[in-house]
Amino acid sequence: MNALERHRKLTEIWASDKGFKGWFSTVNHNDLGRMFLVTAFFFFIVGGLLAMLIRVQLATPHSAFAGPEIYNQIFTMHGTVMMFLFAIPTFEGLAIYLLPKMLGTRDLAFPRLTAYGFWCYAFGGSMLIVAMLFGIAPDGGWFMYPPLTSAIHSPGINADFWLIGITFVEISAIAAAVEITVSVLKYRAPSMSLAKMPIFAWYALITALMILTGFPPLILGSVLLELERAFGLPFFQVDLGGDSLLWQHLFWLFGHPEVYIIFLPAAGVISTVLPVMCRTTLLGYGWIVSAAVALAFLSFGLWVHHMFTTGIPHMGLAFFSAASTLVAVPTGVQIFAWIGTMWKGRPELHLPMLHILGFFFTFVIGGLTGVMVAVVPFDWQAHDTAFITAHLHYVLFGGFVFPIFAGVYYWLPHFTGRKRFFCLGELAFALVFVGFHVTFLAMHWVGLLGQRRRIPTYAPEDGWTAINLISSVGSFILAIGIAMILVDVVLHIVTAHRGRRNPWNATTLEWAMITPAPAYTFASLPRITWRDPLSAEPDLAVSLARGEGYLGTPRHNWRETLAVDIASGKPEMHVLYPANTRLPILMSAVTGLFFLSLLMKFYWTVPLAMGGVAFLAWKWVWGLGLRQDQAVQSVGHGLSLPNAATVARSPGWWGTAFLLTANATFFGALLFGFAFLWTIAPGWPPPAWFTPSIFELGVGISGAALAPLAIRHATRVNESGGTPFPTVILALCGIVALGFACASLMWRAPTPNEHAYGATMLVLGGYGTFHTAISGLMGGFLTAQIRSGYTSANRRAAFPIVGLWVKYTSATGVIILLAAHLPGLIP
Amino acid sequence: MTEVLRILIAPLVWLASFSAIYGLHGLLCQNALAAVAGFPAERAVLMAAYGVAIALQIILLWILHHPRFAAPSGLLRFVSRASGWTGLIASVWTLFPVVALPTCF
Amino acid sequence: MILLVFSFRRNSESGVEARQESIWILGFGLVFPAVILGALLAYGLVIGAQLSPQNGANAVKVTAEARRWEWRFTYADAPALETTGTLHIPAGRPVDIAITTADVIHSFWVPRLAGKLDAIPGHINTLRLEADMPGTYKGVSAEFSGAGYEAFTFRVIAHTEAGWTKFLQGQPE
Repeated sequence: MNALERHRKLTEIWASDKGFKGWFSTVNHNDLGRMFLVTAFFFFIVGGLLAMLIRVQLATPHSAFAGPEIYNQIFTMHGTVMMFLFAIPTFEGLAIYLLPKMLGTRDLAFPRLTAYGFWCYAFGGSMLIVAMLFGIAPDGGWFMYPPLTSAIHSPGINADFWLIGITFVEISAIAAAVEITVSVLKYRAPSMSLAKMPIFAWYALITALMILTGFPPLILGSVLLELERAFGLPFFQVDLGGDSLLWQHLFWLFGHPEVYIIFLPAAGVISTVLPVMCRTTLLGYGWIVSAAVALAFLSFGLWVHHMFTTGIPHMGLAFFSAASTLVAVPTGVQIFAWIGTMWKGRPELHLPMLHILGFFFTFVIGGLTGVMVAVVPFDWQAHDTAFITAHLHYVLFGGFVFPIFAGVYYWLPHFTGRKRFFCLGELAFALVFVGFHVTFLAMHWVGLLGQRRRIPTYAPEDGWTAINLISSVGSFILAIGIAMILVDVVLHIVTAHRGRRNPWNATTLEWAMITPAPAYTFASLPRITWRDPLSAEPDLAVSLARGEGYLGTPRHNWRETLAVDIASGKPEMHVLYPANTRLPILMSAVTGLFFLSLLMKFYWTVPLAMGGVAFLAWKWVWGLGLRQDQAVQSVGHGLSLPNAATVARSPGWWGTAFLLTANATFFGALLFGFAFLWTIAPGWPPPAWFTPSIFELGVGISGAALAPLAIRHATRVNESGGTPFPTVILALCGIVALGFACASLMWRAPTPNEHAYGATMLVLGGYGTFHTAISGLMGGFLTAQIRSGYTSANRRAAFPIVGLWVKYTSATGVIILLAAHLPGLIP
Repeated sequence: MTEVLRILIAPLVWLASFSAIYGLHGLLCQNALAAVAGFPAERAVLMAAYGVAIALQIILLWILHHPRFAAPSGLLRFVSRASGWTGLIASVWTLFPVVALPTCF
Repeated sequence: MILLVFSFRRNSESGVEARQESIWILGFGLVFPAVILGALLAYGLVIGAQLSPQNGANAVKVTAEARRWEWRFTYADAPALETTGTLHIPAGRPVDIAITTADVIHSFWVPRLAGKLDAIPGHINTLRLEADMPGTYKGVSAEFSGAGYEAFTFRVIAHTEAGWTKFLQGQPE
């Protein structure tokens, strides 16, 4: 088979359906990565237009352009769109498109999950945009502080759009994060050990882990606030035992890591592009990885620095002030590693390099003002003024938008296979750079003069007129620059100058293929023994296209790839991917129906939607089942590997483990909320404690002890060729017992509408009941699979996955029951 | 997975001890304790916790440097030790106010 | 940034990579920021501690309660007095303001006298400030509070000792 025949055959296997219908059924990362990026940039334009409206409003004093009601929606939506609908999805899109190519594999770990995440994002984002078109968009500021956003002070549907829409969008962030984590750890080219991974993969891995641990507190906060708004459970109402400070803690517990979730991928882009632009290798690879890890962790210890003015004791503030200054050190390590890289090489001023220089200049200033506001007394003055707005734009525009533009121009030839022809880009960069600094330097200044953020207008006597006008003029220069970049990109896509492969002489794997990338990504999989594979083997692309790597022979219409050992990159299993399907879009539509029913308060469709999701999920996994035992498969170069369905730790197991990590963070945040309300909120102790019951506690805990033991036994029996059926049923009984205790806790929660304690009990019980329902469903699924002959000693991968869920449900169930029953049992 | 855990463990322990001491400080300042021999009890408790946090990090760092537990590959060894140092420095630096500032104002 | 410019000027004579690593990363990346930040942090914490209300034996006590969109002030030295929109204090003496709110979160900020402190439902936060000179100071609420936010301002009048006594006795100046 020659290279062209191989190309045709593989394309036939991997391509999505023809025409626009293919968008709805594609599960290929090449398509979905592009779809993510295009959608994200659409939202970037929306957010940018909103920013323009803000600057029009503030350009002159006593502006009559928009009334406060509309203006409040505009700035709330500007922040929300940019943060949740542009920045995070852009990272997801870039990572989804690039990672398999950089890691030398054919697709991400769970292709259908990628599609599901995309459609959740597209539908959730559309909900917010529709709200805006109808003039009922959220208007409480992008951090939505209650009680301003509670039902008493914001009775309209506006805040519900935020809480429900953003939670819907967050599903896509969690899905993408699970996907990216498992892909980076397990789906790499043979022999690509962690130490030989391209630096972008490290950044993507760290960012994904941060999303898994950073987003759950926000999701919890949104759930609690929506429960308060819709059903009157008073989590944030101080007269009923709640506390509005709880929201601030949960929000910033997410909100600060979020800043680094945005910055780290951009740093990954810089670490990838900069050495290529400087004709050298990255200085201090190990240092950069360490710095990124340190940054990820330190960023979780900063959240209170958004709350310096809330009256927390001074020592408490001092901890976070210290952590906020410390976080500048790993940032400094990365910056100086990049400067060192430039020093070591020969920088060439291509367009991506210009944007990187724009990043350096802007981000360093943003970092310096960041250190200023980390100092508590300075923050007491600057907090909630335009100075903070200016600071965060320096950090986010400097630390994200410039690097992303650098990345866009760097990978554009990869996306299109074309050469840039028009030279609009350089002029556009100049306009963006100048416009940005004029806008936001002026904003720093006016903030120091005392202009508060979020005011719709001001008086001429305030003396801010000239500065605001300068800032608005700057913002229009910036907007023209960005529009020119978009025009430049579109012109690039439609003009027909074919470029050569690897125009930058880059050394990473994504350039070892024809461009635009073929649907199958690599015709055969390389063996990687160098961190810069293309400088070691410049002809790698040709050899891979000739099928000289692994899996070079298309067979059985399989979409196949390899998964490897985490640390060493030793090939471990043979993976078959599912083909094109409309299941993901259907499932996200039904998920959307669930959220929409909550939003519109059509509560009778909620169980319908939940049933629909459960049914589709069942179908989703059922389709993966195998009727026959799988023998080891030859993958080329004399290597034979077992199928992923025949190993103990399948990709699905890893995905479940990381999903449960996020889930555990959610649960931890819930326990934190309980402890916080108990100790800090005024209005405690509650009028009545939950009445403990030794019977329920006993039944629940015995169930929680029985279920994991039984499922473990079932796993072993199945592996040794026995019939696991009876022990799976036993595990189900344990789950039912635990579910009974949790449901009873929900049922008997004391007056949840009248005190936050009862409300918390209701939510804890609900969490337990929900998880026993999931575990029950999975146990039922496993039973059905056993009955229909889908499992055997060989096809055993489903057992450990169900086992993980059962163990998790039992562990959290015991904690919930103890937290509910113990306070009443101890006198 | 142990390779990844080796990298994560020290900063994770820092994060846990940092949050724990912040929470402890909040609790102590809510309910005043009696002074022990003229020395405020809150302060003594916090300083003890500070000491434990640093001791834990030193132990972890020792383990990460010990040939028996260290990662096999060079880069991972380097990164895990660097994050061990990060944990120790972060513990000393971010919780330093325990020693330096008045406890409950 | 100056270093950045220089990296373009200089021709690359391939130096020893390990040495470059230690200069750039250890020297500039680790030691340099650590020293500066340590100093800055210590300074900030000391100032912050001095600004916190401690030993408030001789401080004048007032309370400030915010609601959308006005501030109500009451005075420990004259329990019957309540003023709306204007806080009266004596000049030259420390004043402890107990800040809270009746509805949503607000923030008490008189830029020329002190930093801001939030008014949070159910919590009372105490702000220490001191006006050196008698006079009128502008104040604003600095936490977004909905559609009347931009006009949510107040003033602080710092009296002379005599003026303060008169005010407490309920006589307008």
